[in-house]
Amino acid sequence: MMVRIITALIALIMTATLSVTLAQAQQGPLRIEITEGVIEPLPFATPSFVPENGESAEMGAQLASVVAADLQGTGLFRQIPSSAFISTVSDFGAPVQYADWKAINAQALVIGAVSVAGNNLTVKFRLYDIFSGAELGSGLQFQGTVEGWRRMAHKVADAVYSRITGESGYFDSRVVFVSETGPKIDRKKRLAVMDYDGAGVKYLTDSSSLVLAPRFSPTGDRVLYTSYETGFPRIYVLDVGNVKRRVLESAQGSMSFAPRFAPNGQTVVFSQATGSNTDIYTMDVPSGRATRLTSAPSIETAPSFSPDGNNIVFESDRSGTQQLYIMSAGGGEPKRISFGQGRYGTPVWSPRGDLIAFTKQSKGRFHIGVMRVDGSEERLLTASFLDEGPTWSPNGRVIMFHRETQGAAGRSSLYSVDITGRNLRPVRTPEGGSDPSWSPLQK
Amino acid sequence: MNTGQVISATGHAALIGWLMFGGVFRAEQLPIKATEVSVISGEAFAAMLAAQDAPRSSTEVAQPAQPNIENEAVDVPQPDTTPAQEIPVVAQAPSADDAPDMTDLTPLPEAEVSDEAPVLPTPEPEVSVVAPVTSDRPVPRPSDRIAPEPVAVPEPEARPDPVQQDAVEQADTGEAVAEPQDATAPDEATSEIVTEAEQPAAALETSIRPPARRPTRPAVQAAEAETPTPPEPADTSSAVNDALAEALGQAGDAPSAPSGPPLTAGEKDTLRVAVQKCWNVGSLSSAALETTVVVAVSLAQDGKPLTSSIRQIGSEGGTAASVEQAFATARRAIIRCGSSGFKLPSDKYDQWKDIEMTFNPERMRIK
Repeated sequence: MMVRIITALIALIMTATLSVTLAQAQQGPLRIEITEGVIEPLPFATPSFVPENGESAEMGAQLASVVAADLQGTGLFRQIPSSAFISTVSDFGAPVQYADWKAINAQALVIGAVSVAGNNLTVKFRLYDIFSGAELGSGLQFQGTVEGWRRMAHKVADAVYSRITGESGYFDSRVVFVSETGPKIDRKKRLAVMDYDGAGVKYLTDSSSLVLAPRFSPTGDRVLYTSYETGFPRIYVLDVGNVKRRVLESAQGSMSFAPRFAPNGQTVVFSQATGSNTDIYTMDVPSGRATRLTSAPSIETAPSFSPDGNNIVFESDRSGTQQLYIMSAGGGEPKRISFGQGRYGTPVWSPRGDLIAFTKQSKGRFHIGVMRVDGSEERLLTASFLDEGPTWSPNGRVIMFHRETQGAAGRSSLYSVDITGRNLRPVRTPEGGSDPSWSPLQK
Repeated sequence: MNTGQVISATGHAALIGWLMFGGVFRAEQLPIKATEVSVISGEAFAAMLAAQDAPRSSTEVAQPAQPNIENEAVDVPQPDTTPAQEIPVVAQAPSADDAPDMTDLTPLPEAEVSDEAPVLPTPEPEVSVVAPVTSDRPVPRPSDRIAPEPVAVPEPEARPDPVQQDAVEQADTGEAVAEPQDATAPDEATSEIVTEAEQPAAALETSIRPPARRPTRPAVQAAEAETPTPPEPADTSSAVNDALAEALGQAGDAPSAPSGPPLTAGEKDTLRVAVQKCWNVGSLSSAALETTVVVAVSLAQDGKPLTSSIRQIGSEGGTAASVEQAFATARRAIIRCGSSGFKLPSDKYDQWKDIEMTFNPERMRIK
C-alpha cells in the first residue's frame, strides 16, 4: 500500500514538472495580437492617364487630376506628386515597376488610359496594390461623352475608393442648394445644382422669390423645395431634368414647409402650420392625399425618414426646449432621443441608418453633430457662429452643411466634414450657398 | 487561458482521474476473524465477579538511589578585601556671630492710611475684532481659452544714470528696433490651441462610449486552441509509466514545438510595435473596423516576410467584403514594415519563422 502511494506521488511530481515544461515551450507558430494601428492618409499615385490617340492627350492629365482631387479630398488618401515619380507610365498594358513605386512609398497606383472618338470618350483604369505586388480588382472601362468627362473621372475615383476602403464612394453625385448673393438684409436666393465638389453649377430657379430647403428625391431626378412665391410658403416638386415644377397643395390657410421625400420616392413628409400650431404630415404625391402624424400643441418640424422608411425623426419643443424625437412612420407616440444641453434641430437620418446628423445650438454656438439613433454617442463635429442644415453623402461617410459668418456682411457657404470630425473643408461655389441636399450616386 | 495552462490542467485532471479510478488508493480487503462468544445470565456474571480476589495494595515502593556526594572540599572564593577609604576632614564649626549693634537704628516711618478708595485708571477700550463675513463660494469665471491679446510689455522702470552721458544724435537711417520679447499670456490663458475639429470644448458634452466587449478569439483559432482529447491510459502496471505516457501522449498530439528558447516578452513587443506602426486603418470602412482577422506569415531568416506565405486563417465580425479589406490592410502592414526585415534574434529563428498575427481594430474604431 505504502509503495503505491509513494509511486503515485512521484508520478504526480513528474507529471507536474513535465506539464510546466511543456506549457513554457511554444506550441506551433508564434502568436501576437496587434491592437494599435495608425490613422493616416494612404499614399497613392495617379500618373496622367495614357492617351490612346491624339485627341485625348490633354484629357489624360485632366482625368487624373480629378481622380486625385476626389481621393485626396476625402482625407483618407494622400497624393504623391508627379515630380517624385521614378517610373513613367506610357503604356496602359505595360508591367508595373513595383520597386519604383515602392521606393516612393506609394501604396496604391492608379493607371488609366483615355481615348476620344468624336464626341465619345472612353476611360479605363487599373488599380495596383504596390506592396502586395498585385492588381487590386480588375480593370474597368467607362464610356460616355466628352462633355461628361468629369463624371467619368468621378466614377473612376468611386471605384478606386470602394476597392481600397470597402465602402461605396460618393464622388459621382450632385448637390442641390440655395445659391445666395447680396448682403443679409437684401439677400437673393435661388436654387442651384452642382457636382459634389462644387463644379458644374446650374441654376434651377431665379431669385425673384425666396426659396428654402431643397431636398433631392431618392432617385435624384426630382427636388422638393419651399417657395414664398405667393407670399405664403408652399412646397413645390421640381423635375431636375426639364426644370418643370408643380405645387403640392396644402390645406387652406395653412403654411407648408420643411418637405422631405420618403425612401419610396412617392411619399413626402412635411410640416404644416395652422394658426400657432405646427404638426407633421405625410402626403402621397400622386394622389395628393395628406395624413396628419402629430397632433401636439407644440411645434413639430424638420421630419426625416429612416432609410427603411419605418420611422421618422423630427424636432419638437414639446418638452419646453427644442429636442429630437423618433416616431413610427405612421405616427404614434414619439420617443425623445436627445437629452444634452442646448437645442437640437434639423435631424437627418444617415443613409446607413446607424446615425442621425443634427444641428445643435449650445452656449451661443452652433454645432453639426451626429448621434446614434437611440441618442447615444453624441459627437459634435463642428463649432462656429452658425452651422446648420446637415446633409449626408450617399455612403454616409461625409456630412455637408452651411456655415454663415458673423456681421452684416456675413457670407453663407458650404462645408463638408467627415463623420469622425476630421477633414473639415469648404466646398467652393461661385456664390454663397446654404441648405445643401446631397443626391444619391448617379447611375 | 493559454496553452500552458491548458496542458497543465489537462495533465493534472488526467492524473487525478487515474488516481481516483485507477485503483491506487483502493484498500485491500482484510481477512475477517470469527470469534465464538457465549451468553451468560446476570446472576452467573455476579457470581463470577464475587469469586475473584479483591485487589491487593502494594506497599513496596522502589526508593530512588541516593546520589553520591563527593566529600572533596570545594574552593570557596575569598571575599574581596575592603578598600581603604580616606577619612574626611571635618570642617571646623563656625563661631556664633556677635550681637549686632542696635543703637543707631532709625525708627520706621508710620504708614499713611487713607480712607478714600483709590481711583483706578480707566482701561483702554478694547478693540473688538469683527469676524469677517463669510463670502459665498467664488463662482469660477469663464475665461478665454486663448488670450485674445498678449499682455503689453511693461514699461521699464526709470533709473537715473549716475554718470551723465552725452546725448547721442539719432542716425538718419537707424530706427530703434525693439528686441523681441515673449508676450506674456494672461493668468487664465492656456498654452493649448483649440481647433474646431479637435473640439475639446464639446468633449464634455459628448456621451462616453462604454468600453466594447473584448471579442473572443476567432472561431478558427478557438478550434485550433481546443485541447486534444487525451488518449486512453495504457494498461501498464507501473503508475509512473502511466503518468509519463499521458503527458507524452499530449505532447505528441500537439503541433511540433519549435526547439530552442522562446521569445521573450520584450522581443514579442518589438515585433508587435514594428507591425502596428505600418497598420494604417485610416482608409478602412466602418465595417472593416469591426472586423478582426488572423493572418499567418512565414519569415525568412533575415526577418523578411515571405509574401507568398501571407494568408488569412481566421476572422471575426464584419462582412465578406470587410474581411477582405481588413486582410488587405494587414497584409500591407506586414509587407511594408517587414521589407527591411523584422528585428528578431537570429538564434531563435525556429521560434519566429512562422507567426500568426491577430489584427484587432477594436481600439481604432470611430469614437
